[in-house]
Amino acid sequence: MTALVLFRPARRRVPLAWRNLLADRWRLARASAGIAFAVLLMLVQLGFERAFFDASLAVVRGLDGDLFVMNGSKYRFGTRNPLPVRDFETIRKLAGIETVNPLYADWMDFFWRSPIDDKPHLVRVFAVDPDAPPMFQLPEIASQQARLKGDATLLIDRKSRRFLGMDSGITEAKLDGEPMRVVGTFVLGPDFMSDGAVVMSSATFAKFFRVTSPVMPVEAAVIRLQRGDDVLQAKQRLAAALPSSLRVFTKSELIQFESDFQEKLSSAAPIFWLGTLVGFVVGTLISYQIIYTELSDRLPQYATLKGIGYENAYLVCSVLQQAALTGIAGYLPAWLLCLAVYRAVGDIALLPLHMTLQLTLISLILTLGMCLLAGAIAIRRVIAADPAEIF
Amino acid sequence: MPQLIGLNRRAIAESAAWRQLTVSTRLAWRILVHEKGRTALAFVGVFIAILLVFVELGFFIAVPQGGMWVYDHMRFDLLLASSDYQYQAQPWQFPRARLAQAAAIAGVARVTPIYFAGGSWQDPSGGVLLDVFVIGFDPAGHPFTDDDIERQQQTLAQTDTILVDDQTRPIFGSLTAGRRVDINSRRVTIGGSYHLGTGFLGIGVALMNEANFLRVTHRRDDPVSLGLITLAPGADIAGTEAALREKLPADVQLFTRDALTAYEDSYWTTRTSVGLIFGSGLVVAVIVGLMVLYQALATQIARHLPEFATLKAIGYGDASLAAVVGIESAIIVFAAFVPAALAALLVYALIRSETLLPVALSGSSIAGVLAATLIMAAGSAFLSLSTLRRADPAEIF
Repeated sequence: MTALVLFRPARRRVPLAWRNLLADRWRLARASAGIAFAVLLMLVQLGFERAFFDASLAVVRGLDGDLFVMNGSKYRFGTRNPLPVRDFETIRKLAGIETVNPLYADWMDFFWRSPIDDKPHLVRVFAVDPDAPPMFQLPEIASQQARLKGDATLLIDRKSRRFLGMDSGITEAKLDGEPMRVVGTFVLGPDFMSDGAVVMSSATFAKFFRVTSPVMPVEAAVIRLQRGDDVLQAKQRLAAALPSSLRVFTKSELIQFESDFQEKLSSAAPIFWLGTLVGFVVGTLISYQIIYTELSDRLPQYATLKGIGYENAYLVCSVLQQAALTGIAGYLPAWLLCLAVYRAVGDIALLPLHMTLQLTLISLILTLGMCLLAGAIAIRRVIAADPAEIF
Repeated sequence: MPQLIGLNRRAIAESAAWRQLTVSTRLAWRILVHEKGRTALAFVGVFIAILLVFVELGFFIAVPQGGMWVYDHMRFDLLLASSDYQYQAQPWQFPRARLAQAAAIAGVARVTPIYFAGGSWQDPSGGVLLDVFVIGFDPAGHPFTDDDIERQQQTLAQTDTILVDDQTRPIFGSLTAGRRVDINSRRVTIGGSYHLGTGFLGIGVALMNEANFLRVTHRRDDPVSLGLITLAPGADIAGTEAALREKLPADVQLFTRDALTAYEDSYWTTRTSVGLIFGSGLVVAVIVGLMVLYQALATQIARHLPEFATLKAIGYGDASLAAVVGIESAIIVFAAFVPAALAALLVYALIRSETLLPVALSGSSIAGVLAATLIMAAGSAFLSLSTLRRADPAEIF
């Protein structure tokens, strides 16, 4: 008996949504192309938004440390506001800290004379101690920092904006009018504020400010703890021992600090969210048009199904399924095309555009959302379909 | 006589073409009215696409405008700037002597210096040290046309008193007159505010007279950032400009207003990623509109395929049927354009308050969007013709 029940027709339900979807290949192609455009629009806007933040966070993400101490009156990482020299010495003397590295930085005072237009351009400067353990996770800086021991030497960012000419393999350069030797390159990329970056030794940096290295104000103390040390405990210990005018960050807090600035103060974030919203609305409209047409054309069939006893719930379910499937049919080519768009635009605009799991999920949810929303609006037609009236 | 016959023939041909167009228009209208829901849907889709074009174009224009806003409220015929001039917020400097050299040239009425510098803003009670853009000028030269600034001349004349741009971000705290703040550790008093905007990347701007500027920034009155050149009434602009170019050394350059606008635009669109980001947004918006309209038209044609085939069978030419499709798309697009332009006004107001960018609807941007709209209409009509070609009287019945 049980075997008989198992073989009842209900087990072999017709995959109505799937069959409808594949019934007309040409129509499917057109429908998925329409949805793909909306998806691409959202993905590009979301990608730009992400890239904007990633570009401004590239430096703080690239710092290799467990804890960071900066002046408490800094409102963002990228502005000069160094620690008092005395406080850096206090940090150095605190126990339990494996290495304390001074990071020197400047955003507003260094002008790189571009070999391309022979004009000075503002660049970011980071200065490190070449003898200390590497402070940047960027491998090319870490492996080449020993070369900075030479006098007046620089590592330059070959992914800087092209008009700086840092990607042209030059070996001689001028910074603030001083002749410099270029001893290597690395990849960081510009952000919205700055066109390029150079790395130099702390001794070279000091010469620009006409001070000697040991007493030079430090922009940030980069601390690496001993293996097994608890980061939060160490942070509390450090914060308790330091004056309240200093602020201690874990790495994730530092990243949050900088991205808070970008989100709250810069003009860029709302622009991209608006773009994504528009993509969603356009996508909903396109999918509504597709689903509405589809339902209108098959109205007699749906009415027939109703006539032979299928419930509204079943039909609603099938329509929504089909809407979701159409959405996915549009999503897949758009996702693939987007990889190419990200690559091309990223190379041209020097933006860190990358497909991430997060972007994939957000855009997929938005796509399914717009298709289901469109399906839900269009479905009234099926519910209203009267078998008696249709023929 | 043969000439007359020729004329007649042309007149007949013209009136036939006209009649055909009238018939096509009427037919297009009938189709649009016949399925109101479907037409409304296409209309809404195109409306949103055009709105999207407006928004992207607004950003595209607004970003350079953020800096141009200041120049638009400065009084000058020619702008003297360093040969290393980058853009409004990074103009670099040139020797003050160039101002006197320029003033000595016939036709030049007045040359006024403007100083730009970066400063650090802090509340006297402590807190964050914020980057503020500082502008210094000589109020006697009346370089700004802004009424608020003109009205507050006396305030500006006071020692250690500043005006702040009312677009300065809330993180700077209250901007009410009388508040005391530290700029570069020097205590100054806010005397009032004005409205010129902070540019795309700026977060706060303070305006002060020359003497206060030099005290706050610890600079001397040489070099200067910009020189505003006003010509004498009736002076020959081109001739004076040529004379200035000839007399002044190569460490400075001259901009007319038009050249300056073109320079600032090209800085943002070619040197930063701004142009590419909003430019690509613009292209995508046009394509989306085109696709929406194409889908609407193609569906409508497909549904009326038997009717179109019948028209063909009774002698209508391909051209007049194509005209029906073209007119349909034109009607939808133009009907959607007007409300989209009105909605753009609302969206622009929203963007202005959210991003503090000076997005505004100008005649040229309306013309630009109209051009994009025509591309949409023509492109979608052209694509839908392939569906129309399927109308074969022999096959359809």
